[in-house]
Amino acid sequence: MNRDERREKAGLYNFKTWHDFPPMNVSMGNMLHNRTGSWRFIKPVYEDKIPACQQSCPAGNDIEAWIKLIQKGEYEKAYWYVKREEPFPAILGRVCFRFCEEKCNRGPLDEEISIRELERFLGDRVPLSTPYPDLTSFNGKSLCVVGSGPAGMSMAYFARILGYQVTIFEALPVLGGMLRVGIPAYRLPRSIVEQEFAGLRSMGIDLKPDTTVEKDISLEECLQRFDYIFLAPGVHGSKKLGVPGEDTPNVMSGLDLLKRIALGEKVHLGKRVIVVGGGNTAIDAARSAVRLGSDVTILYRRTEAEMPAHPEEIAEAREEKVGFRFLAAPERIEVKERGAIANLVCCEMELGKPDESGRRRPVKKEGGLFDLKADTVITAIGENAVFDSMAKILEKSGGVLDVDEELQVGSLETGEGRVFAGGDIVDAPHTVVHAVAAGKRAAVAIDCHRKGIAFSEVFQEIMVGAGPGISFSAYMGWKPVNPVRRNLKSVVGPEHIVYDYFEKAPRVQKTGLPASERKKNFDVYEDTFSAERALEEADRCIHCGRCTECDNCLILCPDVSVLVKDRGEFGYVFDYNYCKGCGICFTECPRHAITMVDEENPI
Amino acid sequence: MKQVIKGNFAVSHGVRLSRVKVISAYPITPQTTIVEQLSEMCATGELEARFIKVESEHSAMAAVVGSETAGVRSFTATSSQGLLLMHEVLHWTAGARLPIVLTNVNRAVGPGWNIWADQSDSVSQRDTGWIQIYCESNQEVLDSVIMGYKLAEEVSLPVMVTYDAFFLSHTSEVVDVPEFEEVDGYLPPFEPKFRLDVNDPRMFGGMIGPDYFYEERYVMHRDSMEVLDVYPRICREFDQVFGRQYDVCEAYRTDDADLILVTAGTITSVSRIAVDEARKTGKKVGLMKLRLFRPVPFERWREVLGDASRVTVIDRNMSAGLGGVFASEVKSALFPLEKSPVVYSAIAGLGGRDVTPGDVSGIIDHVLTTDDPVDKPIFWGLKE
Repeated sequence: MNRDERREKAGLYNFKTWHDFPPMNVSMGNMLHNRTGSWRFIKPVYEDKIPACQQSCPAGNDIEAWIKLIQKGEYEKAYWYVKREEPFPAILGRVCFRFCEEKCNRGPLDEEISIRELERFLGDRVPLSTPYPDLTSFNGKSLCVVGSGPAGMSMAYFARILGYQVTIFEALPVLGGMLRVGIPAYRLPRSIVEQEFAGLRSMGIDLKPDTTVEKDISLEECLQRFDYIFLAPGVHGSKKLGVPGEDTPNVMSGLDLLKRIALGEKVHLGKRVIVVGGGNTAIDAARSAVRLGSDVTILYRRTEAEMPAHPEEIAEAREEKVGFRFLAAPERIEVKERGAIANLVCCEMELGKPDESGRRRPVKKEGGLFDLKADTVITAIGENAVFDSMAKILEKSGGVLDVDEELQVGSLETGEGRVFAGGDIVDAPHTVVHAVAAGKRAAVAIDCHRKGIAFSEVFQEIMVGAGPGISFSAYMGWKPVNPVRRNLKSVVGPEHIVYDYFEKAPRVQKTGLPASERKKNFDVYEDTFSAERALEEADRCIHCGRCTECDNCLILCPDVSVLVKDRGEFGYVFDYNYCKGCGICFTECPRHAITMVDEENPI
Repeated sequence: MKQVIKGNFAVSHGVRLSRVKVISAYPITPQTTIVEQLSEMCATGELEARFIKVESEHSAMAAVVGSETAGVRSFTATSSQGLLLMHEVLHWTAGARLPIVLTNVNRAVGPGWNIWADQSDSVSQRDTGWIQIYCESNQEVLDSVIMGYKLAEEVSLPVMVTYDAFFLSHTSEVVDVPEFEEVDGYLPPFEPKFRLDVNDPRMFGGMIGPDYFYEERYVMHRDSMEVLDVYPRICREFDQVFGRQYDVCEAYRTDDADLILVTAGTITSVSRIAVDEARKTGKKVGLMKLRLFRPVPFERWREVLGDASRVTVIDRNMSAGLGGVFASEVKSALFPLEKSPVVYSAIAGLGGRDVTPGDVSGIIDHVLTTDDPVDKPIFWGLKE
């Protein structure tokens, strides 16, 4: 087109001479022909990433997504979304130690999101007996799970979703492992554990309590009857103190005390109870003893800073008037006739050089002996595997089961690569969520074996961030909440969040009974969030790395190159005809949901 | 309805009644309360406008250039250092032919730091292409904002309404604040001649080479000179609706005057008293109130001043190396006359120093009796 033709076409300003100039110089036609996109050498793409919370959850729980569903009021959908990666929100919502919250990116702004309380809200909202929707039919393969603790439960759940016929063998007459006989009822009521098993049963999982493998049924028979075995017996033995006077009726292990209470026995402890140890078992035992009416003191050989117990538990124990005596350890227990304890002789300790755990080794102080009055001594200085039934297997590997990259127990002579293991018997951290994560991994490992592919390779693909959590949804090809491409490896930390776009808001507080009321019984003392509180807390979620359609990119793009998708579809699309790759959208996205890639990148 | 309000509040009312849609301003003494009142009006919903917070006057002006280009009636206000900070954007606004109204509270320019009445700030911007109006009373300020939009939108040039710091901005006077219905009948909604449309994107203010830049600039001057016809008509229409009369300038007792003072701003009120005093003693003194400064009403000034033998311009401003700025322009307007009056330049009231009727009387007497060369500025009230 020549100039005159262009003028005709433009129409707006048709002037023959400068006397007809418009007051302001405006281009005659529009500038759409100027495809400024050709200037680009990097371009933005919408890419959902992994928030810090999901990365730090050992199970890779897709927390951000179900928080979004809570905000939309879609509680049931949110509940089933939790269960994509973590099968027991009513349980973890009560007992998890919240590794997610420790890394929550909201922390640097004001306070981390109460993720556990939100998960509990969902777990309590939907009846646990609701049948699993659209369950796959059986794939013809079967497996048995040894141990009905959280690792076994989780493995059974994910294996059933994958189509396996699952049987769980449990040595005790009650199901749940540590969930049922370890964690006290005031943290996790018995009824919830029972309801979860009812849910597993309704999925077609076979439950066999009172059945000890290698006593009631041999491992060989299991290998004949089932295609795969998953060993998750947990660690239910307690380390001995190794001091004189230990083997008397008024000295018991913390695990033993907790199990007896859990199985309904009316336990009578003395007035003055000393609990030896600094882990969560010691705290659980101490707080249970308080509820049985005793005066309780925890004796720990190092200081509070070195205690392995979770700080939340330590704080609540203090509130319930549990006493703490640090830098002291039992020397010997002086026993009267008929087993009553006369005196607990202790020794003061000092902290010396660090040991293998990196903590400073406690060393006896010269002349540091002193007497402590006690009626009952409870030992909680560490767990180890019980050897009686699985002795043959465990003796070979020194009390733990080593697994290889495919999560198989390599040390067995029998098994032919069909025996897998997970949970406390394999890993060091003794928390429920680690066990649940181990069960999920094992289910995928077994499925990989069935398909003839290497789990170690699949693990790298479905690993969330740097692991160890995996995305079961990615393994199954399930679509995420946002219909946006997702990068499983890219983790969003506080350095990626633009905090200027968020207003401070206080964390919603839990409600519940004061310490004085709690001690009276073993009832749950904290309330589940109401829907109002849940929504208020969910609204504080930053949604790190996930688009929330906040419109920031659309408003700030200087080239008007962020377009809303047609027909109410989610999200935006870049107009690459004009996008100059300036990166303003990327820099100003409050939650790092945009990625800048090389212009040559085919994304 | 008549209210007793400060000059700054008169501006806020003017802006509200003009149904401005976008305001962006940065606080500076003594303009701050304009913006505070406007933001309160926005908060209560009295004024349905978007308030864009910015970190400087340069950004404030740029923000309203943006909003006005998008086709929305916009407003800003500033003073002194803030006006100077906007300087580059002032040029742009006028060249881009955007009908923005800016109220500038006339305040001295530092250093030394001085917040009081002085017109050096706005006169130093006289070459930017903006229409400039100097007000004498709070009523005039309110009225000039409304008239400002009507004028600006008709000729597509920005309007700067100025008034003295503290003497008007922070002093209460009786002001008749009109109702929306009256103003709506006078000032129609803004209909932009061109506007930024993301669906039909144009290039605004792009490159023009030596072949046509001159002609484009000439168009700006030509349209500015048209204001000399448009503005009186706008004022007549205002009179019809509101019953108050304004014009490019006001001639007070000038018909038979031998000596005519020329003043702008609140010195005018004071000078009226001095003129009346002088008349009582038989001196034939008159006064021209300078309202419209840009475009320069050359012919009208010649009409009002041409027959006097002496003219004395009182400048509450100073251009170092020149003297009073109004005086300089009055001289150039009178120059073509075959018999031009002798023009004296008096400078008074810089930095907020009070100019009393006594001072103006003193200037009158001085001019009537002095032997000093005419082009030596009279620095009235300079300390010994």
